Amino acid sequence: MRSAWKFLSSIKLAIVLIILLTVASIVGTLIPQGRSVAEYSARYGSLSGLFMALRLTRLYQSVWYLALLLLFAANTIVCTLSRLGPKWRRVFHAAPEADAKSVTSMRASARFRLPLTLAAARDRVTRRLRARRYRVDESAKGEKISLLARKRRLGWFGSDVVHLGLLVIIAGGFTSGLGSRRAELSLTDGQTADVPHAAFQLRLDKFDTEYYPQGGVKDWKSTVSVIEGGAPVLTRIIEVNEPLTYKGISVYQQSYGWDWTRSRVVLELRKPGDPAVLKTMTLDVGQSAAVESPDVTSVVVRRFVPDFVIGEGNEIQSRSEDPNNPAALVEAWKGEERVFSGWIFAKFPDFGQGHGNDPMSGARTAAAADAPKLAVVLKDYSAAPYSVLEAAQDPGANLIWLGCLLVSGGFFLAFYWPPREIRVVLEGSQGKVDLAAGGHAAKSREAFQAEFDGIFESIRRPE
Amino acid sequence: MTESTLFTIAFVFYVLALLVYFAALFARRDSWGGAGLVLAIIGFCSHTAALILRTASSGHAPFTNMYESISFLSWAIVLALIIFGRSSRAPRLGPYLMLIVVGLVALASSPLMPKGATPLVPALQSYWLWLHVSVTLLGEAFFAVAFVTSLLYLAADTEEKKARLDALAYRAVAVGFPLFTLGGLIFGMVWAYRAWGRYWSWDPKEVWSLITWFVFALYLHTRIVMGWKGKRSAWIAIGGFLAALFTYFGVNYLLAGLHSYV
Repeated sequence: MRSAWKFLSSIKLAIVLIILLTVASIVGTLIPQGRSVAEYSARYGSLSGLFMALRLTRLYQSVWYLALLLLFAANTIVCTLSRLGPKWRRVFHAAPEADAKSVTSMRASARFRLPLTLAAARDRVTRRLRARRYRVDESAKGEKISLLARKRRLGWFGSDVVHLGLLVIIAGGFTSGLGSRRAELSLTDGQTADVPHAAFQLRLDKFDTEYYPQGGVKDWKSTVSVIEGGAPVLTRIIEVNEPLTYKGISVYQQSYGWDWTRSRVVLELRKPGDPAVLKTMTLDVGQSAAVESPDVTSVVVRRFVPDFVIGEGNEIQSRSEDPNNPAALVEAWKGEERVFSGWIFAKFPDFGQGHGNDPMSGARTAAAADAPKLAVVLKDYSAAPYSVLEAAQDPGANLIWLGCLLVSGGFFLAFYWPPREIRVVLEGSQGKVDLAAGGHAAKSREAFQAEFDGIFESIRRPE
Repeated sequence: MTESTLFTIAFVFYVLALLVYFAALFARRDSWGGAGLVLAIIGFCSHTAALILRTASSGHAPFTNMYESISFLSWAIVLALIIFGRSSRAPRLGPYLMLIVVGLVALASSPLMPKGATPLVPALQSYWLWLHVSVTLLGEAFFAVAFVTSLLYLAADTEEKKARLDALAYRAVAVGFPLFTLGGLIFGMVWAYRAWGRYWSWDPKEVWSLITWFVFALYLHTRIVMGWKGKRSAWIAIGGFLAALFTYFGVNYLLAGLHSYV
């Protein structure tokens, strides 16, 4: 037990741990974290197994990294505590008792004689020191009075407050890691979803994407209502940087997308080689619509993909969820005759018009093999946008903020609240008083010297 | 005057300051160093005006792309030079720090850096942008002062110069470290929590600021508790600045992550 304490109270251990944590953290930024097994084998070959066994691929969540952090925390606690006791006694139970020789050997010093009684000299010195906001302790022994004046005593504890703050932050990190709950909610306008682990639901009233005039997304705004017991109790707009917090759960604007399975297209029908538009129509995917025209009787949109690509085995796929190459599979009929069948592209209106059949399906009927008797253009498309909200409950966050406050306060105390100490020894002899004084400051020694000189000048020559 | 004119004027004055500083150094005329500082201050005023104009015209904080943030960092380093260069008796600090500033401003002016002000993506639309970036870059400017004084320490010949430079490096870290902790780590965590719902994501930029923080924590502990001063302290301060530099530049170009804006 004692040797464990001794081990943990060593500053050398702290330094070794800081170096180990630094090196480990660097390794974690060189190896991409949390990727798939396939990606690691492609990237590192035979080393990938070793990396994964050592948890270098989820390094910051690995047992050994967390063990290093915990050891660092234990080391910080023991180092701080083992130094705090003696420091506390030195600061709060310091003995004012001193002798003239030791006092004048301090960094700043003064020595002179005052034509006053001992009591009057003590009063003058004490008053001057208090005027400069020093806190004065005193001890008297016969004809000798020792004064101990100090200010900004909390400055001694700056590093301890920083350490406490770091421990609170580490505790907060572990609390978050073990206790935080997150859930993604993908909602289209009007949709309601249960918030996991919460006694309320969220309804997306409206999702808007705002754009800058020169292009680029300006903002995503989700107007949401909190539903409790079937009734809306609160309606608010959630934006990036403006989460909604309700009953301990915060809801963030995280992502967005389009529900392409429910898209709607605008088609323009023409006769090949004739610029005159026969008809413009709006259709939902899967929907068939009748057309009153001598050349075409019905149109159906079989499929829609936002980012057309031909995958393996001539399979039509969408490369992404973004509308990079929107395409629709459209068929048009004139009675029993298929007058048009094929993929049409919003960005390439002239492409695909030459096919009278569906070139991808492989089903070539006699009728469809003919040249198309109709031209179809994909003029526009739209899909129901959905908003991805994240509902999060992070019980560690408040500890983190408390820790941050302590660290900031501790830094202020350690760097900008340097303690100052002045000791004065007054010895009465033959109706006069010999004064010996010394002082030191932890920082900004020049400013302290000026203050010290000012104080003792005013004691020697009042007004 | 337009922003780019003011920026060019600042650049010219920084170059003049650099020349006068080095002339003072080689001619061994300390009084000329004062002229170098005056030129740097004139450049700084013009640079400040350029930053204000840019903020006014773009409507957002002047550090949302590489050009802007390098410009702001060099501004912050000149500010640190004005604060430290006046009170310190280290005649070489001005010239070498100015060398870094001129290098950065030249980099910002190069055609590699797109200078147009782009509208802010939603994640950056927050007053935390001001707090997080400006305070972090100010902290890094003081790390640059510690870096230069530490290099000068290693090159210094007399014990008296060494003692002065060692103390100066410590003072620069004593200003830079709290600023970096507050701006880079604390404000960064607060903003990340507001924008992404997670105060810490182990994103490479976050990890590298933590690494920078560790290096300066090492600097303080070896110095204060173990009494390391001088050479070893100087090397740690140099390593700390390089880590900060990598956090700032290297992560963007070499490692992918959430901080892909700047």
